[in-house]
Amino acid sequence: MTVRDQVAKVRVGDAAREAAPYLILVVMVLVMALLPSFSAYDVRTANVYNVFQNFASLGLVALALGMTIMAGHFDLSVSSMYLLGGMVAVLTGEHSATAGIFAALGVAVVVGLVQGTLIARFAVNSMPVTLGGYLILLGLTYVIGHSKSVSYSNYQVGIELDKPIAQIFSIRSLVSLGLFVVAAFALHYTRLGRDVRAIGGDSRASRTAGLRVNRLVVAVFVVSALGAALPGALLDYSLATATPTTGLDVLTFSATAALIGGVSLAGGRGSPVGIAAGVLSLSILQEVLSVVAAPSYVSSLITGGLLVAVTILWAPELSHWLKTVGLIRRVDDEPLAGPESARPPAAGTGAA
Amino acid sequence: MSAPAVSAFQTQLERLGRVPDLVLSAALLAVAGLVVYGAVSTEGFLTVSNLKAILTATAFVGIIAIGMTAIMISGNLFSLSLGQTAAVTAMFFLYSLQISLGAAIVLTILLGCAIGAIQGVVVGAWGANPIIVTIGAASLLEGFAVWISHGHSILPPDNATSYTHLARPLGGIPFGIYVFFVLAIVVDVLLRATRFGRQTYLMGENRRAARAAALPITLITTGAFALAGTCTAIAGVLIGATSANGSLLLTGTYTYDAIAAALVGGTAVTGGRGSVLRTVAGAVLIATVSDMLLLRSYSTGIQILVKGMIVLVVVLLMGVRRRPR
Repeated sequence: MTVRDQVAKVRVGDAAREAAPYLILVVMVLVMALLPSFSAYDVRTANVYNVFQNFASLGLVALALGMTIMAGHFDLSVSSMYLLGGMVAVLTGEHSATAGIFAALGVAVVVGLVQGTLIARFAVNSMPVTLGGYLILLGLTYVIGHSKSVSYSNYQVGIELDKPIAQIFSIRSLVSLGLFVVAAFALHYTRLGRDVRAIGGDSRASRTAGLRVNRLVVAVFVVSALGAALPGALLDYSLATATPTTGLDVLTFSATAALIGGVSLAGGRGSPVGIAAGVLSLSILQEVLSVVAAPSYVSSLITGGLLVAVTILWAPELSHWLKTVGLIRRVDDEPLAGPESARPPAAGTGAA
Repeated sequence: MSAPAVSAFQTQLERLGRVPDLVLSAALLAVAGLVVYGAVSTEGFLTVSNLKAILTATAFVGIIAIGMTAIMISGNLFSLSLGQTAAVTAMFFLYSLQISLGAAIVLTILLGCAIGAIQGVVVGAWGANPIIVTIGAASLLEGFAVWISHGHSILPPDNATSYTHLARPLGGIPFGIYVFFVLAIVVDVLLRATRFGRQTYLMGENRRAARAAALPITLITTGAFALAGTCTAIAGVLIGATSANGSLLLTGTYTYDAIAAALVGGTAVTGGRGSVLRTVAGAVLIATVSDMLLLRSYSTGIQILVKGMIVLVVVLLMGVRRRPR
């Protein structure tokens, strides 16, 4: 293969990769729009409103997580920062909802600063550090909530936040969408986007090129904690209750959304617009599942399956492997990998 | 950063690399001191029944942690699906008791092995990120479990009593403890003395070098994950027999406790270093600390918090200790 062929191939691959999030979104929109024509279920304006409400609940978490992945890291603690943000807001916002939000954001800044500084200074893998962070924040949520659901007596706040605007939006979803627009502009038109992707692509080269890598990493983790705490706080106001749970649903949803939104786990690739497309696709999927009254496990299966599938598609050695088994078995490629990896890409479980 | 600055930075790192051995020893001493202090000052800690309670708690987490250790040594960080695997295999064990006890045990272990192996193939053959794959797998396992069980708890068949032997103490010591220690020795020998084990260490130390040396990366990774699934299924059998009520609630905090146990034992999360026997010590330590907190009637929150702190501190100490390449 000539170099030109290779370059052309990479470009085609890149274009496919860039377009994938939007293609998935188009498919999802079509499925939802055409649902009434091939089934007995009706789709109304209220369903569109619900899609944006789903977007409001988890969109910013996906954006935050996506930013850390772009920067070559991973923040496992977002799911408990989300819970802690809600718990802090509910506990401190009894008289003033705004004060509660600011308290939650303040806690998030501290969490982000600590995690980011530890990861940058000690140059350790962010997964185990944020796993420790996940447990600590989860523990804190239980402790300050006395291991119980805490209700928020100021119901009016939640009603205001969720009041339909132009039929399909609410304050909550407009806040999320607005912050996505801000992030898209910031990452596209300032140096920030390029710098974050640069440290994700090659942290050492970026350092040599004069980027303040440590500061950027700290900033990314602060943004990540903020992106988890804000929707967590708003959701708990809207539900008028904060509950400590140990589930990883928030993490699963946001990781899947970010990855189908075109963020690469190798770092250095992704955009807020792509992530928004990923979140919208999953939000539509959830709404469609709820319209057809699918049991809750279907959502777990589809989200888990999508997550594994996207991870495989984006896996660094997939193309190498396809070459190995598809054409010739070269000596320098895993000689024993043949028979057993020839299985179809099973979705990660043998429970069936 | 200019060239002299870079080299100054490296010297600093190297200096850091020497000090932490002291720091690590000091930290270990401090932990040991705390545990002894806790043991002496906590009422009801130094009693036979409490020590048995610690052993019982160690067994389940410890068995899963043995599997987690294999994954960590192989350089694939950790699995976030072992808790779900334990719950699902416990449910399957209770369900398959209607055949016979022996068949149920064998089938459950095979199931756990397969669940692990499939994740291993995905991670090993294509280099997919192990954390994300196992998060996805956890979600899939939960989905399948609810789907197949229709969301009901799984109870053992009415006429089956054979499984209760697994939950009964043997010679005054919980049965699970025997399994834990035997399994620890077997897996330790497997990882130290066999070709597979040494290849696992090598791959964890340096995946590129392992690839260059034509080691079967896919096979080793599959082996490590299958081993983790097998250990977890063995824990699943014991957990199922003990609770006699199978549901996803059994997932509990096994995943995180197992990671904490392996880390505290000193197994490197970046791979290549550590051992199963160290994990045994780590599991005992985690169970001891949990027990102490429980006896002093601290809440679930504090317990999770303390485990998180332990994980964080150990990861940072290990990270600093690692020599720069």
